[in-house]
Amino acid sequence: MGGIVMLKRIVLLVVVLAAALPAGAQETIKVGLVTALSGQSAQAGEAISRGLQTAIDELNAKGGILKGRKLELLRRDDEATPAKGVIAARELVFKEKVAVLFGGLDTPVSLAIVPLMNQEKIPFMGPWAAGTAITRNGANPNFAFRVSAVDELVDKAMLQYSLKTFNAKSCGMILVNNPWGESNEKGLTAALAAKGMKAAGVEKFEANDVDVVPQLSRLKAAGADCLFLVGNVGPSSQVVKSLDRMGWKPPIVSHWGPAGGRFTELAGPSARNVHFVQTYSFFGTQRPVGQKVLKALMAKYPDIKGPADVTPAVGVANAYDAMMLVALAIEKAGSTDGPAIREGFYKIDRYEGLIKTYEKPFSPQTHDALTENDYVWTQFIDNQIVPVGLKN
Amino acid sequence: MKRPGVLAITVGFAAAAAGAWLGNSYYVFVIATLALTALVGVGLNVLVGLAGQVSFGHVGFYAMGAYAVAILTTSGKWSFWAALPAAGVIAAATGALLALPAVRVRGPYLAMVTIAFGFIVENAASEWKGLTGGQNGIMGIAQPFAERWIALFAIALAAVATVAFALLRDNRLGKAMLAVKDSETAAESIGIDPVRVKTVAFALSAGCAGIAGGVFAPLAGFVTPSTFAFSQSILFVLAVMIGGAGTVAGPLVGAAVVVLLPEALASLAEYRLLLFGVLLLGVLLAAPEGVVGTLDRLLGRRKPRCLEGTPAALGASSGLELEAERLGIVFGGVRAASGVSFRAPPGRITSLIGPNGAGKSTVLNLLGGFYRPQEGTVRLDRTSIGGLAAWRIARAGVARTYQTTQLFDSMSVAENVSLASPRGESERYLGFVGYRGELDAGAGSLAHVDKRLVEIARALAMQPSVLLLDEPAAGLSAADKRRLAALLKEIAAAGVAVVLVEHDMAMVMDISDSIVVLDAGVVVAYGPPQEIRTSPAVRNAYLGDGASRLAASRQDAAPGARLLETSGLRAAYGAEPVLQGVNCDVREREFVAVLGANGAGKSTLMRALAGLHRPVQGTIAFAGETLSALAAHEIVRRGIVLVPEGRQVFPELSVRENLELGAFACGGEAPAIESMLERFPRLRERLAQRAGLLSGGEQQMLAVARGLMGRPKLLMLDEPSLGLAPKVIQDLFATLDRLRSDAATILLVDQMAELALSLAERAYVLQAGQIVSQGSPAEVAAGAGIEQAYLGARA
Amino acid sequence: MLASALLSGLGLGSMYGLLALGFYVTYSVSRTVNFSQGSSMMLGAVLAYTFVMRAGWPLVLAIAAALLLCALYGVVVERIAVRPFVKRRSEGWLMSTVAVGIIADNAVLFTFGKEPRGFSVPWTAASADVLGVHVSALQVAIPAVGLGAAAVLHAFSRRSRLGKAMRAVMQNPDAARLMGIDVSLAVAAAYAIASVFAGVAGVMIAPLFNVHSDMGTVFGLKAFAVAILGGITSAWGVVLAGLVFGAAESLITAFLGSSYTQILTFALVIVALAIRPDGLLGRAVVRKV
Repeated sequence: MGGIVMLKRIVLLVVVLAAALPAGAQETIKVGLVTALSGQSAQAGEAISRGLQTAIDELNAKGGILKGRKLELLRRDDEATPAKGVIAARELVFKEKVAVLFGGLDTPVSLAIVPLMNQEKIPFMGPWAAGTAITRNGANPNFAFRVSAVDELVDKAMLQYSLKTFNAKSCGMILVNNPWGESNEKGLTAALAAKGMKAAGVEKFEANDVDVVPQLSRLKAAGADCLFLVGNVGPSSQVVKSLDRMGWKPPIVSHWGPAGGRFTELAGPSARNVHFVQTYSFFGTQRPVGQKVLKALMAKYPDIKGPADVTPAVGVANAYDAMMLVALAIEKAGSTDGPAIREGFYKIDRYEGLIKTYEKPFSPQTHDALTENDYVWTQFIDNQIVPVGLKN
Repeated sequence: MKRPGVLAITVGFAAAAAGAWLGNSYYVFVIATLALTALVGVGLNVLVGLAGQVSFGHVGFYAMGAYAVAILTTSGKWSFWAALPAAGVIAAATGALLALPAVRVRGPYLAMVTIAFGFIVENAASEWKGLTGGQNGIMGIAQPFAERWIALFAIALAAVATVAFALLRDNRLGKAMLAVKDSETAAESIGIDPVRVKTVAFALSAGCAGIAGGVFAPLAGFVTPSTFAFSQSILFVLAVMIGGAGTVAGPLVGAAVVVLLPEALASLAEYRLLLFGVLLLGVLLAAPEGVVGTLDRLLGRRKPRCLEGTPAALGASSGLELEAERLGIVFGGVRAASGVSFRAPPGRITSLIGPNGAGKSTVLNLLGGFYRPQEGTVRLDRTSIGGLAAWRIARAGVARTYQTTQLFDSMSVAENVSLASPRGESERYLGFVGYRGELDAGAGSLAHVDKRLVEIARALAMQPSVLLLDEPAAGLSAADKRRLAALLKEIAAAGVAVVLVEHDMAMVMDISDSIVVLDAGVVVAYGPPQEIRTSPAVRNAYLGDGASRLAASRQDAAPGARLLETSGLRAAYGAEPVLQGVNCDVREREFVAVLGANGAGKSTLMRALAGLHRPVQGTIAFAGETLSALAAHEIVRRGIVLVPEGRQVFPELSVRENLELGAFACGGEAPAIESMLERFPRLRERLAQRAGLLSGGEQQMLAVARGLMGRPKLLMLDEPSLGLAPKVIQDLFATLDRLRSDAATILLVDQMAELALSLAERAYVLQAGQIVSQGSPAEVAAGAGIEQAYLGARA
Repeated sequence: MLASALLSGLGLGSMYGLLALGFYVTYSVSRTVNFSQGSSMMLGAVLAYTFVMRAGWPLVLAIAAALLLCALYGVVVERIAVRPFVKRRSEGWLMSTVAVGIIADNAVLFTFGKEPRGFSVPWTAASADVLGVHVSALQVAIPAVGLGAAAVLHAFSRRSRLGKAMRAVMQNPDAARLMGIDVSLAVAAAYAIASVFAGVAGVMIAPLFNVHSDMGTVFGLKAFAVAILGGITSAWGVVLAGLVFGAAESLITAFLGSSYTQILTFALVIVALAIRPDGLLGRAVVRKV
């Protein structure tokens, strides 16, 4: 047995070496990721890493792309600050010479990196950060692409949903005090203004706040009958628990934050009152791609025992599809040349992905692969994210 | 700055510039970041390394500079070259403003004020949306020139700042900052206003941070609040501390560590911070004074530079009279001085004497402005200077020295003196006082006598009308004292009004023109030396009276075996030797007294025996065991208990708790407390009171009782009669007498020589750290040493 | 609104006070503090969670074990990050305790996990309406435990042998040595106590909050502000300042809006220190030369 394994390895080595001989053309294709890997957002960074790695493993197992070149992921921690993110991006671009750079979850970090990418003509792919200006950055040619939600669209959808489902008259905003919260404040205010409405009140809270009662009391006093919630899973659960303590039960329409973790465990039974937007859920019946990815995740990461452990699911799903689309773009380009890959994105016809089947996802006008039609309204029932109305 | 240091710094900057010129965009950016961090670090070093203040809020100034340039060049349409100086000015002005509250607080309070400032700036940046663009900040800041040139510009700025720092450190202002760091008190005594100096330090260092931020904005192309988080402030302080605060190259090395180390660890992704933390701790543990500081210490020494030629004369003084008028002050309910009036005419030596705790130093502090008089005033040539800040009084012409020398330890001897001199002269004054050591020696490492001389030289360099001296002879050898006496006479002869607080009676009697005797804060005698020497009040205050009344009532239990024995015991404070080979012993059931002048080493001997003073050379043997290496708490458990000088009861604890703590080492409080209360009935009434509220005598009783609670095999008492009224001293010695008759083993140090000898069975006389005479009380009393030590009778 | 804001403010304030008491204890005994006090709080919560939710231990046992380990952590911090610097008269402990905090936070990140976890204890959900304000059991329990812990510290320092020894060290380390008190032991004990207090705060906050490696950072910082505001050498000052700070935070948020909360509370600290440089109840030290 051992001898056979050994022999196989030697053969493999010879093959690899032989393949590598012609002018190093077969060297690996490096892709970079700059995101928060430590601190509060470590889990989100891990989710993006896992989504990318799962896609890369799948591609490499099939023999790589561009006729046998393997993909390699290089990750850097930006500690959620733009300054660190920009240095990390420079390192990956100039020192490691990555073909494509993936962004992380903080909009300011991505906004700080994108000008560099446009200048160096290397494609940037955003699997998470939803700030509108990341892809609509005014540059020509524009090298920033995204497979994620867009705040502006989510905000419109949130308002739409609150009017339709809860017949809301006067909405209050409760937003985490960071760039993401502020970007949605703008978006929601604009969405309300478009309908000739005004917010009952806008309140911010810190991501590490234990108690949000004072802010919520202000919204209640201002006559809010529905809350727009923007915050990651931890901060979102603080809002829900604070509402419980106040004994106030307004309907809550939320951005996708609660999907980032064990929301029910964190927020308690009232978690189910929060209706939030989603791009993807591993719960329920999965299409073949979903089954395949979930299986791969469970095989690779021992802490994943079922769909509930894939958190935040959006990070994994967006990153997986983003990587697959990047691979297709490189194939279409036929090289790792930045401008060619950019053109390659536009040439993608159809890709049967995890989130959806993408039909001509990118064009010079649209650098966002997901649209408002791809948002699903969901809620937590026990430990599962399910579309609203499916269970009760 | 030593030559290898200059070379290393030059090479470092050249390498950075070469890297910025040749490297790819990543290296250019990293080097630029490094240069900006170094620039902030150099600025922060002015505050931390020179002025001795800490700031955990420097990111606030950095942010202000960055936002100023961002806002002015984008919406303000200013040119970068106009915006950058504006950024520096805004930050510096804010720094000066922050100094208003910051100079009022110290230590952790200062840390908090600066932390709070950093947070306010960060939050204001995210809330003041109209100006700052809120959380998402300002993007797309135009670069005034190519990135490579920005990096080179940043390197140039850092280099200029480094040179400026080196110049500042050697210039008057920088020295004034160091002076404030080393000793605010001494700085004030040579006319430096600490508030102003600290404010300037804050402004300069904030300005550097502001300029660095101003370059960061176009380099990065964006500013957002999260770029300027608290953690960044910590990195700045880290850069200074890792490198070595106060050194020229320190912040450069430190900046390299905090910027390059994370880059070197970048490929560790999420594990980077963890490893960064570990390496940080390692570096701090390996080089607690910073990398450069530690290297400095390991490398090179300077060539010694000494004074040559004959001592110069002192120029004539302006000749003003100092007058104290009914000075009074109360500390925590205790009248430390009350109605103190006297004159110190020019060209004369006026001495203040009195037992320990009589208020001599307090009066000196009132004269020099260290304390603000609550009653009365001080006049200099009929102008009232009472209540002015110390530095103003110093500038008005009143110089002083301190009981424990207050030199600027991190500066050289020459720097200490030249800083005080309006013309920056040092050699003249050092020559005049007779200093013969190295001019460039660090003041902190000087021998005791040289510290005294340098301090006097520093005071004289102020060209004062009045010179206040607080125990200048303490701890000096007989020969040194003679030289000092001659020096003081010479100073007076130059027209200076000399005010002297001194314990050495021989010297006081010899050189004073008039003497003020204080006891318990009140003037009890005032006149020329002859008058004072014969005054009964003075004799009483010093020697006590009627020692003979104590009956030698001990049931002559013959002393037993040797309990305690020292041989060749040596101890030193820093470079200054205090005990120089003391051999003494105490037998069981023996009462031994140790006598000697102030500064002879009596207290140090006690502290060495009790384990408070470590390390010591030589041996201390007790009941067959060697104690020289044991710590105090271990020695107590072996049965040696010290009742320390100044009583040192625990003021916030009740009398009962104090007593209980006395039995901490051996347990069994309750019965022992009862027996103490029988011995000291006064304590019974006060049992529940806070010890701090007791009178001095009661506190001393408590201290003795507390010592006895430990059931000592050897009880040591250090100056128990200090600062007590004569009647109380009688009571105290009666108590000691009873203890003696109970066959306790006692080692006593007391300034009341006669009383001590009346109780003791054997005595040692200590002078300059050596035993000069020993034997029975009669033998010792008959010897010449004792009179000389205490009353200054000429041998 | 006033009542509910005050209630939640005082609750949080008592936890700030608890953490700040840790600063008080170590500072009084040794003139040093653990700048990463927040990490000790995080450890308390993380350990209690791990023992209850993962190991399935009974609550009381789990909390006891967590606090014991916190005490141990405090001793270790003192040993490796404070004592070596104090011995060499270096201020390096300022930075080294920060480094230890970074290490602790990241070590927990990789062992405990990156996800925030919810730690719900059965009785925390109980609630009632009191005088028109909705009050949960935990909200009552938190200030009660906070003040209780302060009272325990008070009793400990007055009644126990070690407590008295520590008070002696606070007032006069040399005299304490002469009583046979091992000062370095007292300092280690102070660090243990500080860590345990932080741990208690962590366990109490955990059900209201969520458990993750980063949960203590902001708390630790605010607690430092509280300790300084109160006067770091005054236990009662620290407790009082905690309540003031907590109430100020939630009242400012409730009546002026959250935009101003941090700016105003930190400005309050600066102004208070400008007026009282030794904190609310701190006592000025008489300078001597």
